[in-house]
Amino acid sequence: MRRELTITTTPIDERALLATRQASAEMGAIIYFVGVVRGTEQGRQITGLEYESFQEMAEHQFGLLFDQMEKRWPIQSVRLVHRVGLVKVNEPSLWVEMVAPHRGEAFEACQWLIEEMKKVVPIWKKPQQ
Amino acid sequence: MAENQKQIRIQVRFYSFFKDLAGCAGTSELVPAGSALGELVKRLVVKFPKLGPMQKSMLVAVGVEYQDRTYILQDGDEVSLFPPVQGG
Repeated sequence: MRRELTITTTPIDERALLATRQASAEMGAIIYFVGVVRGTEQGRQITGLEYESFQEMAEHQFGLLFDQMEKRWPIQSVRLVHRVGLVKVNEPSLWVEMVAPHRGEAFEACQWLIEEMKKVVPIWKKPQQ
Repeated sequence: MAENQKQIRIQVRFYSFFKDLAGCAGTSELVPAGSALGELVKRLVVKFPKLGPMQKSMLVAVGVEYQDRTYILQDGDEVSLFPPVQGG
């Protein structure tokens, strides 16, 4: 399984990510998810979210999740980009792509990865007013 | 504790709002060899009482791995304390 993980303060460049997509002829499903910062947090208006990570551990924990994912689904490629630092409202904070033979496994794996990330990957966010 | 019991040094780091509660990004602790992670956490809560109410939800890692409170500390371990994660 191809793995590409980026945790960065640089804005997520969706065009560049789409331009570098790779999938073999056997792959029938390519999906991607974009998580975007909402303008409200717990009912209060915000201007953005300040993300903080424990980078070394975050990379390690993502690696463990990718290991588990590879055992459960026939994913050919996973690419994940997570912004850290200040991310303004309407900007993407998370971009995840799955390449798989069929849509079922691509959607399942993507959903699972994001849910598990929210339990174990040490990244936190602080609303900015 | 025996007077001659060996002490080991543990580096502690706080993340997210735990830094605000502790008033610092980290600390260094000398603990008796053979101490469990849970004993260190108890000691830190005494030293930084604002962390006390967070004990139940507190996540604790040694290096880059989560560990439970029974983990036996090793000299030079880097222990990180932080609140539930919120990526995405």
